[in-house]
Amino acid sequence: MTARAAKRRGRFEPATWILLSPWILALIVFVAYPFGFSFALSFYDYSPLNPAAAKFLGLANYAEALKDPLFWTALKNTLVFVFGTIPFTTSLALGLALGLKRAFKGRDFYRAGFFLPTVVSIVVISLVWKGLYAPEGPLSALAQSLGLVPPRWLLDPNTALASIMAMDVWAASGYYMVIFLAGLQAIPEELYEAAALEGASSWQRLRHITLPMLKPTFLFVLVVNSVRSLQIFTEVFVMTGGGPLHSTVTSVFYLYEQAFYKFRLGYASAIAYLLFSLTLLLAFVQVKWLKLEGPKS
Amino acid sequence: MSVARSVQRAPKAPWLLAPLLLTMLVPFAWMLFLSVQPGAGGDLSLHALSKARFTLEHYAELLKQSAFPRYLFNSLFVATVVVGGNVLTGAMVGYALARKRFFGNRALTWGVIATLMVPKQVLMIPLYLVLAKLHLLNTYAALILPFFVDAFSIFLVRQYVMQLPHELEDAARVDGAGELRIFATIVLPLLRPALAVVAINGFLLNWNSFLFPLIFTDSDKLRTLPVGLALFAQGEHAVDWGLLMAGSTISAVPVLLAFVVFQRQIIEGITAGAEKG
Repeated sequence: MTARAAKRRGRFEPATWILLSPWILALIVFVAYPFGFSFALSFYDYSPLNPAAAKFLGLANYAEALKDPLFWTALKNTLVFVFGTIPFTTSLALGLALGLKRAFKGRDFYRAGFFLPTVVSIVVISLVWKGLYAPEGPLSALAQSLGLVPPRWLLDPNTALASIMAMDVWAASGYYMVIFLAGLQAIPEELYEAAALEGASSWQRLRHITLPMLKPTFLFVLVVNSVRSLQIFTEVFVMTGGGPLHSTVTSVFYLYEQAFYKFRLGYASAIAYLLFSLTLLLAFVQVKWLKLEGPKS
Repeated sequence: MSVARSVQRAPKAPWLLAPLLLTMLVPFAWMLFLSVQPGAGGDLSLHALSKARFTLEHYAELLKQSAFPRYLFNSLFVATVVVGGNVLTGAMVGYALARKRFFGNRALTWGVIATLMVPKQVLMIPLYLVLAKLHLLNTYAALILPFFVDAFSIFLVRQYVMQLPHELEDAARVDGAGELRIFATIVLPLLRPALAVVAINGFLLNWNSFLFPLIFTDSDKLRTLPVGLALFAQGEHAVDWGLLMAGSTISAVPVLLAFVVFQRQIIEGITAGAEKG
């Protein structure tokens, strides 16, 4: 073996392993072990109050979840949330990015303003919006002054979830705007100049240059936003507690209640894995969908 | 030519987007407004605007009579230690993964990326049990240890080191400096821009973190601001809007300040995440 080959393969260097040790430790204790452990747990009846009574159930936890109507309600609410917010969040974020791409006086202030909700705790945002949605609050007053009968927002099972979704679009768009802005900046200016020489309208430039070139950005935004939205929890915890009439129970909220109110950790682990599979599936479908279409150029 | 043309045209964006921008800012203005209006219940109606007054009584009450100072301290303490950990271990591990050849490099790097993709609700229950087994539930350690080493920080530093030139390190090696000394005296200072991004994003994430602190603690003494605030709002104080908005303001101000000062680093942190996709 030549010295070069040995070097390529690397020799044992204590310093390297000292530098790596925090990650190796964290990866084992806080990622790999819990990940495997919860998978095993999903086949057991397990309560932390009485761990000795743990019982192997096989697939019974999974079967129970699939039979529980509340599990399906939670799943339906979560999917409504994901598919109901993402088109709005994505188009708003893209629109903002397109509007704030070119320089004008005060542009940075605009960008900062739209990004603002992203840095503030979602607990704070949820509390503020709970106040905005209160029956005696400003949004009801606004509806009244427009001559409408104000909806009961968070107190009505028909509007509660939609109210939380509207807040989410408001709160999340700025984050994806920043990602779209980065994507827009990566598009070579020459493409637009060439199109302008050929007399392309601004709509044609958007349709045939900007949108196709943004495809990887779209993919990233869709995947990240759906993974995040599948985990909606804090908003529900703060604003409605899952009510009224379970109309805002999301999958993670359901999981949280099963695990930490009812202490059914085995069952909750099964839910977590079902949700994880759904997340992977959704991410996979989005990747396929956007890849298949392929660049037109 | 086209550039000149688009400059000449007066931009429409400011006018079109102004109402939207207002929609973004009004809820925060309203939060501030309610936090300084007198009265226990707080007047949510628009009439409150016409009889606007100014008082700091809600802030005084929060800071004197409740557990809020404790929440504030907990949030600051936990975020500081976690950010310190993220910066130090991110630098160590990110550097080693980017520069060192060793058996298992690929596996450990994949571990970083896989960790970034695992939704945290899968780890929520087993992490709780791991902490219970270690007798760490309801301690500061539960709020710190699981987040001390952060995959995103490692990833960010790794990407940054990959595009740094080797020369300085090689020169030091020729001079006979030890590997750990090279890391501490030569590499670490070079990493400063990446570590600033790690620190500010780590701070925001940790300061606003809710689900894990909610699960891992159940005493008032250990609650962080978001958890304290959320539980405060569920109890008898559910309609004390003045108090709630004062608490919200206290929780929002540090991140707003951080945002004003470190906007560039925050944006870099987000787009660094996007470029990996």
